Amino acid sequence: MRLAAVVLACLIAAAAAAPVVAPYAPDRIDLSIRREPPSATHWFGTDELGRDVFARVLYGARVSLAVGLLSAVVAGASGIAIGGVAGYAGGAVDAVLMRATDGFLSVPRLPLLMIAAVVLQPSVPLLIVLIGLAGWMETARVVRAEFGAMRELGFVESARAAGAGHVRVLTHHLLPNAAPAVAVSLTLAVARGILLESALSFFGVGVQPPQASWGNMLYQAQATLATEPWLAIAPGVFIVMTTVAVNVAGDHLASRRSSER
Amino acid sequence: MLAGAFAGCRGRATAVPPSNDLLIVGYDREPDTLNRFSTHILEDIQTCVVEGLTTTDEQMRVVPLLATDVPTIENGGVRLRADGGMDVTWKLRPGVTWHDGKPFTSADVQFTVDAINSPRYNPESTDGFDRITSVDTPDPLTAVVHYKEIYAPYDIQFIRGALPKHVLEGRDIDRAQDYNRNPLGTGPYRVVEWKAGEYILLERVPHYWRGDQYPKIRRLLFKFIPNTNTRINQLKSGEVHVVALVPWDKYREISGLPSIVVAKTPGNAYEHVTLNEKQFPPFADVRVRRALISALDRQLFVRTILDGLAPVADGPIQPVSWAFSNRIIRYPFDPAKARALLDEAGWKPGADGIREKAGKRLAFTIITQAGYAIREDMAQAIEREWRDVGVDASVALQDGTAISSIWFEGRFDAMLHWWQMPSDPELTTFFAADRTPPAGRNINYFRDDELTRLLYASDRTVDRTTRRAMLERAQAIISEAVPEIPLYNVTRLDAMPAGLANFKGNPTNTGIFWNVHEWEIK
Amino acid sequence: MHAAPGGPLAIYLTNPNVRPEDIERLRRALGLDRPLWQQYWSWLAGFLRGDWGYSFSDGRTVASRILERVPATLELVGVSLACAVALAVPVGIWSAVRRGRWFDRAATIASMGGISLPAFWLGLLLQVVFAIGLGWLPSSGRATPGLNDFADHLRHLVMPASVLAVVLASGWSRYLRGSMIDALRQPFVVATQARGVPPARVVLRHVLRNALGPLVAMVTVDAALLVSGAVVTESVFAWPGLGSLFTEALARRDYTVLMALLMLSSAAVILFNIAADVVHAAIDPRVAA
Repeated sequence: MRLAAVVLACLIAAAAAAPVVAPYAPDRIDLSIRREPPSATHWFGTDELGRDVFARVLYGARVSLAVGLLSAVVAGASGIAIGGVAGYAGGAVDAVLMRATDGFLSVPRLPLLMIAAVVLQPSVPLLIVLIGLAGWMETARVVRAEFGAMRELGFVESARAAGAGHVRVLTHHLLPNAAPAVAVSLTLAVARGILLESALSFFGVGVQPPQASWGNMLYQAQATLATEPWLAIAPGVFIVMTTVAVNVAGDHLASRRSSER
Repeated sequence: MLAGAFAGCRGRATAVPPSNDLLIVGYDREPDTLNRFSTHILEDIQTCVVEGLTTTDEQMRVVPLLATDVPTIENGGVRLRADGGMDVTWKLRPGVTWHDGKPFTSADVQFTVDAINSPRYNPESTDGFDRITSVDTPDPLTAVVHYKEIYAPYDIQFIRGALPKHVLEGRDIDRAQDYNRNPLGTGPYRVVEWKAGEYILLERVPHYWRGDQYPKIRRLLFKFIPNTNTRINQLKSGEVHVVALVPWDKYREISGLPSIVVAKTPGNAYEHVTLNEKQFPPFADVRVRRALISALDRQLFVRTILDGLAPVADGPIQPVSWAFSNRIIRYPFDPAKARALLDEAGWKPGADGIREKAGKRLAFTIITQAGYAIREDMAQAIEREWRDVGVDASVALQDGTAISSIWFEGRFDAMLHWWQMPSDPELTTFFAADRTPPAGRNINYFRDDELTRLLYASDRTVDRTTRRAMLERAQAIISEAVPEIPLYNVTRLDAMPAGLANFKGNPTNTGIFWNVHEWEIK
Repeated sequence: MHAAPGGPLAIYLTNPNVRPEDIERLRRALGLDRPLWQQYWSWLAGFLRGDWGYSFSDGRTVASRILERVPATLELVGVSLACAVALAVPVGIWSAVRRGRWFDRAATIASMGGISLPAFWLGLLLQVVFAIGLGWLPSSGRATPGLNDFADHLRHLVMPASVLAVVLASGWSRYLRGSMIDALRQPFVVATQARGVPPARVVLRHVLRNALGPLVAMVTVDAALLVSGAVVTESVFAWPGLGSLFTEALARRDYTVLMALLMLSSAAVILFNIAADVVHAAIDPRVAA
């Protein structure tokens, strides 16, 4: 766990500091040094247009991490809203919302996102929203389960009896108690978001070149996999590393929570 | 996984070597239909089964196939009428039968024309056919085609073959799935099996009209592999033997293999940057266009991004064509000249280095098709070199289907694009002033009256010498005006087994299978 | 989807001989010139009646195009599921029982890796190593044309099934481990062990039944999703199933096929969920009550 936290912290720091840390600009084209294997001057080698792969991985980290984190925020916000209403209200509202959630869960995510991406040709912000909107269901279920449990245990009744309005009950009583469960769900959403972005970019419908993202670096590396494998190894390794770190963190949160209970 | 590896450990038993019994072709797409008139996109498989009256050979010459000769004015096959129309007489080769034994006759040619011109059938294109008024069949081996006006490409009118009258007469051809999935032809092969999503298997016919010794290879299998990397991997592992149109960035991977030979054929297509004058008015200034072309080091691009596999192109007509002219203006890499021209045109560098004029920045979007590494790389390299002279071009990738309708409607500033030119050197649809979308493909929205006049006149000239002179002048005008920036000629790379004899490449859409009956594995 | 740039006719534009008049004529013939709502309505009405329409690309019925791809996908998904279950259940159980020991640690690391891997990356790596590098396995496709033997079939199946199995098994084994651990801590388990019942029997009889229930739910949902969307794996390995039909139809804007696929997959998930509930009730009678 500690290792995971350190890894994540380093990645985020490196990504944030990319303009300072990167030895070259990520879009600096130099046709005379194309496809060079890793060397002292280019730690991860160069790509098809002579751009430094290390720099592109750093800048790609910014995009991939941003998409992962921010899409999880979108997923979380909408999930909390929907699941919260369902769990708090109970009854028919709950039933309807949960059926709707199940309905959305029954549509396969990647194909649906691919269609959306082809139709909308999204910019990075819109891509974040789309990926987020494809991920609220899990969080909604968790929140609804938590709120529902607390309602059954009488938390809501006693708080309302004490004179709290609906909003206050939600924000001050229910939400904080549900926070650990939501945190777990959010970390899973981050990992999912990173993998979804890389899959979409792999099909050429995610982040568009020349902007670098780990996913579209893999997409561009496909063509020369046999002759220049380092182009595919670096971004792939980083995706796995980041996703593992996030999943480990989520796992840790989950086990802490279940041992508290 | 272990079980499978065990099964595979018995050796490289996954590949069947090429032989005269079976040749496997790695094909990039599953055809929608094998009806050559319904869709022209992919014709390699059809070429083996259905033959036309003429075909184009490896030097893009029109040669007779099911006809005995190509009709010309000199041999009397073409007669210009006083009313401005023309009559073309086709003499058919005797003794040719369809695969079901019925003879191939002029009635089939007549039926084909009627079917295509009928409103009940929806072929992909009726180009040329709609200028035919009628077809006479004085005897079973003669067809006289009456055109209402002079039509220069008459010689390739029937390059796709004919529809068999005795099979399709009176039927709804769009829904005739027995024909569309297994067309009746006269060629060296017939369709034996079409396994959807996987492959089409062709087998030799017992009595091909060229002689029983043809074709030499018994079966051809076309395996559908849309993913380029997968296709090339299969070529390397020997699971497929032939791959047409190998992308240039894959050449390095396969050029060293002892079992594979890569044939290079100069193509009849060229890549260029289209400059849409209507959508982005600064392109209307010829100085700006000349500056843009001078700012690009095309030789460097070709040497590096294309690994030197294709030559720089300087115009729309390619060296393979009989109408190609060398008497044109060329623009070598000269960024200083580019800057001078832009200054002269009133575009001065602004604070951020990008040029401006009257408050407007010289900034636009260049689009290109996604999924082609070479095109994506080229677009980014172009953006870089233009930025160096103060032009801001941002790259936007579009997928193949989207990009077609974008250019068809002219909704773009600049586009990295390519045209596959028709084997007949007709440029009218690309450069005539009145052929802007939707009437044609003049997506530069370029207007030059002398050029327009010349192109239309050339379309109506059957005499080759006169026509060539007109097209020479046309190419000169185009090179002076630079309505678009030609980049490079699309050289075809076709991979095949080292033991394949009698392969002859083909620069046109006819494809490499035009002489498949001669192929032999030695 | 009509809003997407391009359309089923866009593909014809690459041919220099196709003129604007031809495009107009084709548009009218395919009914694409009718107002959008009209097109959608007639599609929906037809779909519910069982008439799924004709594919824009090749004029064959959508139903036949989909049906001919189903066996390939079922084969791949079936084998992958079987392998994944065969992998996940023992690993999950053993990790829970031997919690904290080296097996658990190793399994945890492996499964963490498995759920974090982009499936296409794993596929590409396998291809490079086993097909191009070592030549043991064919790089793609379902069978070598002409050959019809079982071993050849198996060889083609190995890599794509492995990719799917690894990804699935990683998630499932973690989940199973978690729910087993929870079940093992239940008071009645401790009590049973205190009564002297051998641990293996405890595990198999009581704990497994409880833990298996949620796993069944996971498996069935994943199965249903796979049927429609093993898009990535089928693409990398050129497996001729529903996933590759999807990517082809998307590239050609073949709306009728795409709509049918989406409807089908949703229906599949709903059906599988119902089946899952039934199986769950059968395994764990408490649920039915």
